[in-house]
Amino acid sequence: MNEEAPDIVGAWLHAYEEDTDTTAVYHPEDYPFRPSRRPRRGMDFHADGTFVEWVPGPDDRPREVAGRWARQETDRIRVTFPEGQGEPFDLTVVSREGDTLSFARGERQ
Amino acid sequence: MIDEPEFTEPLARELCGTMPVHRRLLNESMAYRAQRSAIENQATQYRLGGRRISRSGTISIPVVVHVVHNTDEQNISDGQIYSQIEILNQDFRAANPDVTQVPPVWQPLVADTMIEFHLATRNPNGDPTDGIIRVRTTRSSFSHHDDAVKSSATGGADPWPSDQYLNMWVCQLRGGLLGYAQFPGGPPDTDGVVIRHSAFGNMGTVAQPFHLGRTATHEVGHWLNLYHIWGDDGQGCSGDDKVADTPNQGGGNTGMPTFPHISCNNGPNGDMFMNYMDYTDDAGMMMFTTGQSTRMNACLEGPRASFLIPQLARVGGPEERTVAAASAGGPRVSGNGSQRELEQLLQEVLKDTRAALSVISGSR
Repeated sequence: MNEEAPDIVGAWLHAYEEDTDTTAVYHPEDYPFRPSRRPRRGMDFHADGTFVEWVPGPDDRPREVAGRWARQETDRIRVTFPEGQGEPFDLTVVSREGDTLSFARGERQ
Repeated sequence: MIDEPEFTEPLARELCGTMPVHRRLLNESMAYRAQRSAIENQATQYRLGGRRISRSGTISIPVVVHVVHNTDEQNISDGQIYSQIEILNQDFRAANPDVTQVPPVWQPLVADTMIEFHLATRNPNGDPTDGIIRVRTTRSSFSHHDDAVKSSATGGADPWPSDQYLNMWVCQLRGGLLGYAQFPGGPPDTDGVVIRHSAFGNMGTVAQPFHLGRTATHEVGHWLNLYHIWGDDGQGCSGDDKVADTPNQGGGNTGMPTFPHISCNNGPNGDMFMNYMDYTDDAGMMMFTTGQSTRMNACLEGPRASFLIPQLARVGGPEERTVAAASAGGPRVSGNGSQRELEQLLQEVLKDTRAALSVISGSR
């Protein structure tokens, strides 16, 4: 892995109210988020390459979808669902500063 | 057999997971799916008119509130809890003052579900209780991942028997989550609803714009088998909430939309965003429909019949009202229940139970 690549390992939830025209903003799961009736989407990047996506569920509990993630380039992430339960997608990491992780908008947000 | 709605796909995805919740669902998913299919079939019979609601009086469901707190602030007052029960009773009986704000075109659909709620007066051992359990926890917050708030072994509070009580856990939830529910047919030891303390009731620690107690109304709707009004298909137009009198709409609405809000070619009236099962702010939701009422009452005559049958058995004469009042905190029914209704309901429930068992055991 490229040493200059931003560290994204961990569980992140979408702070959609902080999005800009070009970036989607995420914070760690234990961040003091503002209450939201729509459950926040989330992504959990494990160091071993496994991945869990959280999507809003019908009972308001986020549903967990398991997959894998891999770094393609310094700022490019590829997420796949090897068992075919989801379409693969790419993410571009814009920045990681403390408890704020920003992706380019329009890829998964 | 009726297909499950669109959310079954994420359930299938979970089969390949590695998290604890995944493992639990792996073990339970087949039985759960069978249960949900049987429940949906039963609800469909009511929706299509093949069956009618047997009960004509009100039912009052006993509630136990587990206040799981890490700080004194999270240990909400009795008054805040009472305010939530009162709101549930208003909302489910269409007695909420803001029901007048429903657009005129949908006023005829506003439903009194004839379902009420009360704090339990007897605990599972039959002893008097105020229906409120207070548990101090070392956990600063709870996540949706593991249902930890629902077990004393993981810093939460154990449920009371979920076939006799509606369990409500009140705590600090992580990630800004307001609450979540469990549909009928799920594991009994996690059955109930979880509500963020700052969205419970309409006083004390509540915070705008979720300060009017509608999170619990919404979650109890799920507990009684209601789906989100847009059908849980993201922003698409193919989702179905299995209720005929709610308009098809795109995704969930948030905030305070203005009428009409059009999606999925549903003009001129658009989305029924003022429905409790949308995602609008508390002040923006104020109605269940007749179809939703039928679905919830079908649930009470099916997978949650354990709340109804004891009441029907007690109704019929003045002494039985007394028995009901002195019972083990059990449900109460008032109105025109009859022995005939009870027998009819028991037969239907037995039929459903046999059908569900045969599905699970694979004997048909």
